[in-house]
Amino acid sequence: MPCRVLRAMIRFENVTKVYDQKARPALDSVTLEIDRGEFAFLVGASGSGKSTFLRLVLKEDRATSGAVYVAGQNVARISSWRVPRLRRGIGVVFQDFRLLPQKNVFANVAFAMQVIGKSRSVIRDTVPEVLKTVGLEGKEHRMPHELSGGEQQRVAIARAVVNRPGILLADEPTGNLDPTTSMGIMGILDKINQNGTTVVMATHDDDIVNEMRKRVVELKNGVVIRDEAKALYTSMIPVVGQSRRLKDASGREEPDAGLPGDGREGGAQR
Amino acid sequence: MRLAFILSEIGSGLRRNLSMVVSVILVTFVSLTFVGAAGMLQMQINQMKGYWYDKVQVAIFLCSEGSTAAGCAGGPVTPEQQESLNGLLESPAVAQYINDFQYESKEEAYKHFKDQFSNSPIVDSVTPDQLPASFRINLKDPEKYQIISETFSSQPGVETVIDQRQLLERLFSVMNGASLVAVSIAGVMIVCAILLIATTIRLSAFSRRRETGIMRLVGASKTVIQLPFILEGVIAAVIGAALASGTLWAVAHFFLGEYMSRQYPDTAFISSGQTLILAPALLILGGSLAGISSLLTLRRYLRV
Ligand SMILES: Nc1ncnc2c1ncn2[C@@H]1O[C@H](COP(=O)(O)OP(=O)(O)O)[C@@H](O)[C@H]1O
Ligand SMILES: [Mg+2]
Repeated sequence: MPCRVLRAMIRFENVTKVYDQKARPALDSVTLEIDRGEFAFLVGASGSGKSTFLRLVLKEDRATSGAVYVAGQNVARISSWRVPRLRRGIGVVFQDFRLLPQKNVFANVAFAMQVIGKSRSVIRDTVPEVLKTVGLEGKEHRMPHELSGGEQQRVAIARAVVNRPGILLADEPTGNLDPTTSMGIMGILDKINQNGTTVVMATHDDDIVNEMRKRVVELKNGVVIRDEAKALYTSMIPVVGQSRRLKDASGREEPDAGLPGDGREGGAQR
Repeated sequence: MRLAFILSEIGSGLRRNLSMVVSVILVTFVSLTFVGAAGMLQMQINQMKGYWYDKVQVAIFLCSEGSTAAGCAGGPVTPEQQESLNGLLESPAVAQYINDFQYESKEEAYKHFKDQFSNSPIVDSVTPDQLPASFRINLKDPEKYQIISETFSSQPGVETVIDQRQLLERLFSVMNGASLVAVSIAGVMIVCAILLIATTIRLSAFSRRRETGIMRLVGASKTVIQLPFILEGVIAAVIGAALASGTLWAVAHFFLGEYMSRQYPDTAFISSGQTLILAPALLILGGSLAGISSLLTLRRYLRV
């Protein structure tokens, strides 16, 4: 058991989240593990609980019951003054980019370093480097309104990863982008994942999911109805139970992309 | 780096919210001016007590032409009566209560009167004859007034015995009342200031929710997120307090120092330097009011 806790970057144990007593839970007894270095899609219709899942990882909200572990730490046990430290280890990207409109590209990315007290010289060195990884070299001085949607999302990704977080959460990052631009964004997220960052992306863009062939966790009304490695947007095999990691679409068991020595024994997890 | 960042955040907050910041400055300015005015009145009372209590305590007015008091049936005071009053003041029975005493003749009384009311037309209508001569007595213990009054009221040639301290007390109670009014107005204004600061901080937090949202997400500490807002309120309030201190100084310097002290040369007015004692108190009061009210507001409106 302890080694499993260490390997899992994000672990949900019977997590239920109720916003409104009269409505059904936004998440209903979700049990799920996402390993260090993994790339996972969270799919499902609007209102299925994808954003809620990501918010619980960030401790933006507290689970009604169950436990959420991030890097082996139960987030419910993190005192409020140490929550910022948790969040420094997690980058977040949204559908609406959330850039500061009166700051240029460089300043938007630098902002994430300034507020945690990074020195000017470190910022000067790091920001251009990160802008290069997202393909924005030479656009440091553009204002957000002078950028295309895809470019704005690249700035947001640069800001999310500039402090080298272990986890990148993306909530429908391609929701406002056309298919070609979306694929460009996916390329960047894949590259970030290759560098060892655990990526969890909520989406309902089936083309992207089918193209990437990564792990797919499907939520429906707050319940995990499918969990497949190397999967497609829609399941190839009948849905069985919940909270279960099934064999990948090809039927073979696949080790996850991850840190060295981080391989998994098999697809079936529980 | 973080300090520079916080300072630039404060700067942008103050610029974006300029009209609200100006109103916070004005409201704290007015409220703290009233607080300071109450303080100045108290200082003035203490000053006058120190000055007057030493100088005048009891005055024995002697009969003059036209005095109607019972003791003046025999007409104006005679030199013999005056001599015996002087003897009585020097007798051991009375002298034990007295520090010293002085005789003030009609002419001296007229001169003092003229000095005191030099700018007033009333001086022209008064002649030395109309002002009574008096003995001015400085008591060891001002509370022993009753003994002097009982001893001298019935003496021939004495028109009346007046405890000037009581006259002063009446003046002081008026001044005390005025400072109470000032404190009440200050209280209402301070409530206004607190509410206005809370509203300003709330608006400021709202107008910058995008920034604070991002700061939260990238793991900025509570201090880094909240400090610019708190300092925004504190800076505005401290500017208001500085204006209030300046105003009080100006009132002491120009109104009391130049105008009033010329009108009433023998009244000891507080100096402009003395009002500067109030300044640190006002600055601390203003700053902490703003700090506390913005802290409480942020707890509700700026989740971290
Ligand atoms: N802050 C909130 N207050 C109340 N209900 C909420 C809140 N956020 C989400 N919900 C509800 O929880 C459910 C799941 O929402 P969400 O996690 O945003 O789904 P998704 O991101 O998959 O569209 C929805 O029914 C939604 O109405
Ligand atoms: Mg959502």
